[in-house]
Amino acid sequence: MSRGMRKRLHQALTDQNLQTALQRRRLMGRPFKHLAAARAPDFELLSREIHRVKEEAMANLPQLIAQFKAEAAKSGAHIFEAKDARLANDYVLNLAQQHNVKHIVKSKSMMTEEIELREHLEKHGIEVKETDIGEWIVQLAGERPAHIVGPAMHKTVEQIAELFSRATGQKLEPDPQVLLNASRQALRQSYIAADMGISGANIAIAETGTITVLTNEGNGCMSTTLPPLHVAVVGYEKIVSSWEDAMAIIRLLSRSTMAMKMPVYISYITGPSRTSAIPGAAQLGGLGSTEVHIVLVDNGRMVMRESADFTEALYCLRCGACLNICPVFGSVAGQTYGYIYQGGIGTILTAFLHGMDKAEDLASLCLGCMACQQVCPARIDIPRLIKRLKAELVARKGLPLSRRVAYGSILKYPGRLDQAAKLGSYLQRPFVDKDAVIRKLPYPLNSLTGAISLPALPANSLKNRLKDCSSPNSGARPKVAFYAGCVAEYAYPDLGEAVMKVMRGYGAEPYYPRGQACCGAPALYAGDVKTVISLARMNITALEEGEPDYVVTVCPGCALLLQKEYPELLGNKLGWSERANRLASKVRDFSQLILELTPSGQTKSPLNRKVTYHDPCHLKRGLGVHSEPRQLLAREGFELVEMFDADVCCGFGGQVVLDYPELSQSILKRKLDEIETTGVDTVVTNCVACVLQLRGGLDKRQSKIRVVHSAELLAGPVKTGG
Amino acid sequence: MSAATREVIERFTAEARMAGAAVYEASGAGEANEYILKLAQKHQARRVVTAKSALAKEIGLRDCLTRAGLEVTETDLGDWLGQLAEGKATNPAETANSQKLEAIAALVSSAAGEKVAAEPPAILQAARRALRQSYLAADMGITEADMAIAETGTVVMLCDEGSSRLVSVLPLVHVTLLNSEGIVPTLDAAVARLRSLGQGKSDSRWPSYITYLTGRNTTGDIPGALMARAQGPAEEHIVLVNQAGGNQ
Repeated sequence: MSRGMRKRLHQALTDQNLQTALQRRRLMGRPFKHLAAARAPDFELLSREIHRVKEEAMANLPQLIAQFKAEAAKSGAHIFEAKDARLANDYVLNLAQQHNVKHIVKSKSMMTEEIELREHLEKHGIEVKETDIGEWIVQLAGERPAHIVGPAMHKTVEQIAELFSRATGQKLEPDPQVLLNASRQALRQSYIAADMGISGANIAIAETGTITVLTNEGNGCMSTTLPPLHVAVVGYEKIVSSWEDAMAIIRLLSRSTMAMKMPVYISYITGPSRTSAIPGAAQLGGLGSTEVHIVLVDNGRMVMRESADFTEALYCLRCGACLNICPVFGSVAGQTYGYIYQGGIGTILTAFLHGMDKAEDLASLCLGCMACQQVCPARIDIPRLIKRLKAELVARKGLPLSRRVAYGSILKYPGRLDQAAKLGSYLQRPFVDKDAVIRKLPYPLNSLTGAISLPALPANSLKNRLKDCSSPNSGARPKVAFYAGCVAEYAYPDLGEAVMKVMRGYGAEPYYPRGQACCGAPALYAGDVKTVISLARMNITALEEGEPDYVVTVCPGCALLLQKEYPELLGNKLGWSERANRLASKVRDFSQLILELTPSGQTKSPLNRKVTYHDPCHLKRGLGVHSEPRQLLAREGFELVEMFDADVCCGFGGQVVLDYPELSQSILKRKLDEIETTGVDTVVTNCVACVLQLRGGLDKRQSKIRVVHSAELLAGPVKTGG
Repeated sequence: MSAATREVIERFTAEARMAGAAVYEASGAGEANEYILKLAQKHQARRVVTAKSALAKEIGLRDCLTRAGLEVTETDLGDWLGQLAEGKATNPAETANSQKLEAIAALVSSAAGEKVAAEPPAILQAARRALRQSYLAADMGITEADMAIAETGTVVMLCDEGSSRLVSVLPLVHVTLLNSEGIVPTLDAAVARLRSLGQGKSDSRWPSYITYLTGRNTTGDIPGALMARAQGPAEEHIVLVNQAGGNQ
């Protein structure tokens, strides 16, 4: 987190044009959500194939580079390998100068954005025109692309009308069709005048030395064919072995990018054009380009490849699907990130292609909601890479002091955390309203209550209230250890009691193991792995007590650590691996466990009560639980009214809620709007952290809508023990 | 080449239409020519450019369009020279090798309206300039697909010179002629066929340009809508010609 990032976020969130553009885009995108899914029924299979293709290509990269170079040279192309941005830029500049090039047309290429090739050529007096319409808009505005695929997605049609009017010298109305016609005419002239065309490549095929350029507009065909010189700037990671491998990528790329089955134009280029119609002209070219130069760029890719933890980021196809689904990106768009590559994958790419230090701010923006991981056509586990990156950053430069104290000296010690909560509960008194809600905190904590009201910390924590339930009574009933997690422990002890009550009602023997501590999620998302490991051991030991059959959770964030992270973190630690795995196999979500305990439960008669359900990120995408809570609601007689985007993050994830409350608020706003659109009076969710966020947000809106965890809904009114 | 089954043809047609192309299935030369002529008239086209097409020759497309008053320019270099030589005393194709360059230079000079030296670079440059004018001035471009892919509704064009790419992207309307036997079921089957094309030839180089064209060009870059006709043609037409032994 940095002041600079906070400022950029504030600028983006208060930029009326940007927010209008984003809102319009959201409305336009709504119907596409279903379309995209419908067009890729075989997404799972196809994405696995791409992952395999890329994995093999990166493993064999040195051989593939050699093969590509040899084949491309055979076809008559010139090859230059550039170690870094400067060498790549200088090569193209020299080439342009040698050929006395005055005008260049360029098709969209993230590679050239990364090395700032256009700027380099312009600095030396050569005119470069972007021919992708979106890229041209951004060029006219003097800005950087806001999105890997839709560079001008942050502009309103009114802004574009102004830019085009200035560029063409005619007064153009903000009508998309008028603007499109004007840009077509203006760009058409440029192709004819150009002495050089520059492109990137979506795929480079080693077996034939072929580069592949995909466009929908047609500009890729024209800018690579009409000018006599064609330069393709290609990152090493674009190389695949065969045409079949290229097809695997093509099958999914446009579906991920635009919900289209295929790109409109795919240009496969193998060497310059040539003709046999004129004797003696075989080496002189044909009607297309007469010289093809391929600049293969490293610029940090080889280091990325060798750092085994991050190689996967090289599988990125630059399709932009992860950006389209990212709630943070949806609030602020790409320029807020500060570098070329945006969003989750952009964080990793920035770390290697622009510098580790530059990625820190970007990493702090991640909600950890895992939405990106689900849509990636190359199956890159982006959230995991970001976690690794954070750990790497902490290993390099340590934690900031406040966090070092918070995680290393408090979180790690349950007794101290209890004391801190008690202290908080005492200090908060002047700010607590009659209904036990904190609506306004003084500076410097005021930003925390900017977006949401906070629950007052009860003086009596869950641990005290459940003093008498610390071990299971012997008996035939299934033993269920309740792992509360910090939010239920300190903020919502009532909810904890509700869990105990409902579990008993369903014939289980619930108990509360007293040795439990924080799961370590805050430390994990900050990159403090040491603290997490220490907490993992504490919790594993605590939850072995009483030999439970199940461990029930009300916070999927905690459950995800217990079930997935502990085994991984402790995997190779002597003795701990088995214990971590045993715990993992017992962990259940609340609703999941009830359905498992009572598989033949009768559906109750309808209650005539409508509710909507919010999918917690870590429950749906982390643990794969999304139908169970709905089934349970239906069985209990509730009528479910689905909200749009039920599985989009509420804004509480990662460190965002603490570091960037304003951003969190913007994401929350969309969620609350969707909730209100359903018209129901109750939102159900299975995550205490989501409960905190949604309840706090609705309270700020003075809404009458109630937010409950499934456990509370099923328990009915619970007598408070506080 | 085995004939494409009805099922494959129908899949191709459905996918191509979904992607925004108009597909017309002609039962023979007459229907194909008539469809293209009507299309040209609908758009008040005056100038037509064509890329290399055995099918167009076979169905007599150029004659049909020319008779109707359209100006048709062949843009494959060999075909263009052939067209320039029509009605002239010296046809380079029939000239002895030693005289060939002179004959070609004479033709290109007359077409370009400038004196072109009988040297390969000068001839090529003049031809490029002249043909670029033709592409840009054309209202309609006609190419022939070397194959098509049913899975995606894609037409595939192979060429070394680059003419088919320019003919397909620059004019207002683009027509692709397709022998229905050229339709393969999948992307992978298309790759297999691409590989087989090179086999057994003395020059087994991969074609300089392979273009996969699917539907009609679009852009989503101007917010508000996904719009058809970005920078390429306003309309894409595929004319399927069912002729046994078509373009072999």
